[in-house]
Amino acid sequence: MLAWPHWLVVVVLVPLLGAVLTPVVSLRSRHVAPWWALGVMSVTSTAALFLILRVAAEGPFSYLPGGWVPPYGIELRFDEFSASISVICLIGWLAVLYSLRYVEWLREVPKQRIPYYYSLLLLNLGGMIGFVITGDLFNMFVFLEILSLSAYALVAFSGEHIAEMAAFKYLLMGAISSLLVLFSVGILFGVTGSLNMADVATRLASAEPVAPAALALGMLTVGLMVKAALFPVHIWLPDAHAIAPSPISAVLSGLVVKIGIIGMIRVYQIYNSANMIDLHMLNQTLVWLGAISIVMGAFFAIFQDDIKLMLAYSTISNIGYIVMGLGLSTNSSIIGGSAHVFNHALIKATLFFAAGGLIYRTGYRTLTDLRGIGRSMPLTCIAISIGAISIVGIPPTAGFFCKWYIALGAFEADQPFFGFALIFGALFIFIYYIRMVNAFYFQAPTRPEILEVEEAPASILFPTLLLAVLCLTVGPIPLTFIKPAAELLLAPLGG
Amino acid sequence: MLQALWDNLDYVAPVVLFCIGLYIIIAKNNLIKKFLGLNIMETAVFSFIIALGVVDGGDAPIMGADARAPFASPVPQALVLTGIVVAVSTTALALSLIIRIYRQCGTIEADELREME
Repeated sequence: MLAWPHWLVVVVLVPLLGAVLTPVVSLRSRHVAPWWALGVMSVTSTAALFLILRVAAEGPFSYLPGGWVPPYGIELRFDEFSASISVICLIGWLAVLYSLRYVEWLREVPKQRIPYYYSLLLLNLGGMIGFVITGDLFNMFVFLEILSLSAYALVAFSGEHIAEMAAFKYLLMGAISSLLVLFSVGILFGVTGSLNMADVATRLASAEPVAPAALALGMLTVGLMVKAALFPVHIWLPDAHAIAPSPISAVLSGLVVKIGIIGMIRVYQIYNSANMIDLHMLNQTLVWLGAISIVMGAFFAIFQDDIKLMLAYSTISNIGYIVMGLGLSTNSSIIGGSAHVFNHALIKATLFFAAGGLIYRTGYRTLTDLRGIGRSMPLTCIAISIGAISIVGIPPTAGFFCKWYIALGAFEADQPFFGFALIFGALFIFIYYIRMVNAFYFQAPTRPEILEVEEAPASILFPTLLLAVLCLTVGPIPLTFIKPAAELLLAPLGG
Repeated sequence: MLQALWDNLDYVAPVVLFCIGLYIIIAKNNLIKKFLGLNIMETAVFSFIIALGVVDGGDAPIMGADARAPFASPVPQALVLTGIVVAVSTTALALSLIIRIYRQCGTIEADELREME
């Protein structure tokens, strides 16, 4: 089973086909759609499991659809960074389960449209899986568009009164960034005559005019930065992530913004192995932008009363951590940064799932209205507290190890200033999460009816608690897994 | 300088178009106009990639060396075809969003919408 080569194609085709077929299978009864989506995600997760076991056993491997040899045909490539499909499948599966009750509850959504919601969600997950396993620049763009377009539509799905505005703002910025990516893929094709990542890297090494390749690098970085919502191009994120339905917020904040990061890692791999441009300037810029994102995201989060808006700003500051880790480009900081891609996905999904549970039961979404909720929904509030201490980075939770490694990297790179920026950011983050925990447990309720609500239903509680347990237990596992890949990032790309 | 720009007109023009599109998105107030700016940017990128397909003095791989020029590489055309499909779906989604914004708010001017938020 493990060695069956076709898993790599199955893992991307199944969710995409499943997405297209969702409206068809739910023609008779719309209640089929969530179970169908759950089945599709189960098959995908199984395939992902086999792939990860294989990459752990024998290292990176490729699949050539149609048997065409790489520079001419397209290539699917699975390496340690592609193992992030584990968290895509996990959170995707849980988000589908979570949506079962949550989407039915959204009043503004017409019931007969619900199958399309699952269709879009599967399309989004399939696009992300495709993005992380492709070995081809143009396919990277296509998958990026699949996942972005479905994300825009999903943001608009919640039907709240500014949802369309938020989705449109997201679409406009997202489309510009996709065009930047496409433009630079075109430039790279013009310079090297190839689209395969490994092949582009080899040919770039001897490419004569350096300027176009440098321009392409800049445009790719900016384009993917918009997708990752790094300062100063983060302005679309808070509204879009806060307004989307909660399971979608978890997917967007946990996974979709990380796609920008993984794209940056891929681009970095290409340019680093071509070794034609001095990446020092770029790294330094990324470190600064990362540091500003950390402090600014945390700063704005303090002033938010809306719980989901607060979590959305906190995503910006965590993206800052990851980018800073990559930009410092020492061994430990890259390990920490890329492991934070996994860990932050788990933590932020926990937080959004738990926040969604509170909103589902009470209908309120501001900290003032939710005061005292800890007494009536103890389990959800425990999950949100675990998420809070993990994101602050208190040992032994998931957030601690990554931030420790990034800080270590800052001192290794002899730039202790950024280590302090990181700790300073963590303090800010601590303030606003303490504010949240304080409101839930220790303040007198402003709305007395909040003490009457029941605990969230099982289909909402189970994903929340499972992820909370993972936040506590997963700890350093992603670090050890990503270590060989991170070391490879500083070494040439193998064909 | 001018001569160099003129010689590379097929690369310069898309860049100019791209910037015009970007300017429209930033400067215009009407959502439909913003979106037209995006369409101009898309056209710019597509024409740039199509222009890459022409290689002066190149040989067509399968036809052999004795086939008569001019040829264009088919790969960029395939890329642009895919790109157009993506652009069409972006357009469809954006227009449907604009319709829903208009139904809810009664306007598609960005400054009036900002006041409503």
